[in-house]
Amino acid sequence: MAEQGHEGGIAGHLHYWTLKIDESNPFMQIHLDTMLVTLVVAGGMFAFALWLKGKLVAGAPTGAQNFMESVVGFVDDTVKDNFPVNNPLIAPLAFTIFTFIALVNTIDVLPAFLLGHVAGLFGVEHFRPVPTNDLNLPAAMAVSVFILVLYYEFKLKPVHFCKELLFEPFTNLVPGFLKPVVMPINLILKLVEEFAKPLSLSFRLFGNMFAGEVIFLLIAFLLLSGGPVSMAAGFVVGLGWSMFHLFIGLLQAFIFMILTVVYLSIAHQPVEH
Amino acid sequence: MSIDLTFIGQIVVFLTLVYLMKKHLYGPMSELMETRSKKIAEGLAAADAGLDAKARAEAEIAEQLKDARSKAAEIVASAERRAAEISEEAVNRSRTEAEGIIDAAREEVNAELGRARQALRNEVADIALIAAERVIESELDAKRHAELIDGIVSNGFGHA
Repeated sequence: MAEQGHEGGIAGHLHYWTLKIDESNPFMQIHLDTMLVTLVVAGGMFAFALWLKGKLVAGAPTGAQNFMESVVGFVDDTVKDNFPVNNPLIAPLAFTIFTFIALVNTIDVLPAFLLGHVAGLFGVEHFRPVPTNDLNLPAAMAVSVFILVLYYEFKLKPVHFCKELLFEPFTNLVPGFLKPVVMPINLILKLVEEFAKPLSLSFRLFGNMFAGEVIFLLIAFLLLSGGPVSMAAGFVVGLGWSMFHLFIGLLQAFIFMILTVVYLSIAHQPVEH
Repeated sequence: MSIDLTFIGQIVVFLTLVYLMKKHLYGPMSELMETRSKKIAEGLAAADAGLDAKARAEAEIAEQLKDARSKAAEIVASAERRAAEISEEAVNRSRTEAEGIIDAAREEVNAELGRARQALRNEVADIALIAAERVIESELDAKRHAELIDGIVSNGFGHA
């Protein structure tokens, strides 16, 4: 990997600033750029929260409070539309997912190499500024959501959930003597279905953001390296893609949020008899 | 593009962030918004109730005004009636009083007239006596002639 990093081209820009704890084990490494940007964004959100908390007014809101209230109201409405019962954790979770992903995705609008060059000044060889381009972040969020879903499934309707895993939809269709045979197949298919949720959730976000960055890099390499005309075209195309990508980033944040709410609301759905 | 320790780190960051956002941003804000919307709803309900009360009060005022007006008209009518009665009574009383006064005056006049007539009669008798004395000198019996003259006077002046 290190040799590849010294090569030019797009692949050379897709390396992380990595701290290898154990060279022989690929799991024992940490992406410092992802962690750093995430911590900065999270810290910024926390600081903003503390700042805003201090100046909340009960009357007519203005400025930052007004804006945040519209975001909170939007998330609240979405959760209330989808949720059969009231769970005080869901709305803050959805809100955090939405704002955090939207903020992180928006970093992608900065010129592709800017933060990399800034990091280069500090002697960092590779720097990927957008943490959602790192599968670890979407996967971490998706798995957290998945664990929450499983927690609520087992907490709210354990018997029903296990029954569903074993009997729905196939086992119920076959006659009694075939049930033991069909049950494992059913279980395997249901497990695939369940595990597809976090997988699709994380890969959707990761894929969109990663592809967006690759397209930025493509624009940069194909157009910006040419003559003046090609550079001007590259600038215009890059600007257009920036806007589109900004929209995609917001959209993906919304999709992640709404799917989280939907998965959790399925887990909260009361048992029908 | 590999799952590694970053994954664990991201889970920690994410869950911490969810907790912090819930505690410091979402919680206070949604509480605030709920309080506000409750307050607004209460205000609107109060405004509605106030409008209702106002309409009721206006209706009541109109009704009372109507009552007061009719009562006032009644009072005025009865006062007029009473005034007419009083003035009629006063007229009647003054008429009786005037009649009384006239009667008394007439009686007095009659009495005075009677007295005056009697006095005149006495005086005339005296004068006639004196005149007769003067005429016939004092030869005549005063007593007999007095009777005679008296009779003449009463007959002669009885029709006066």
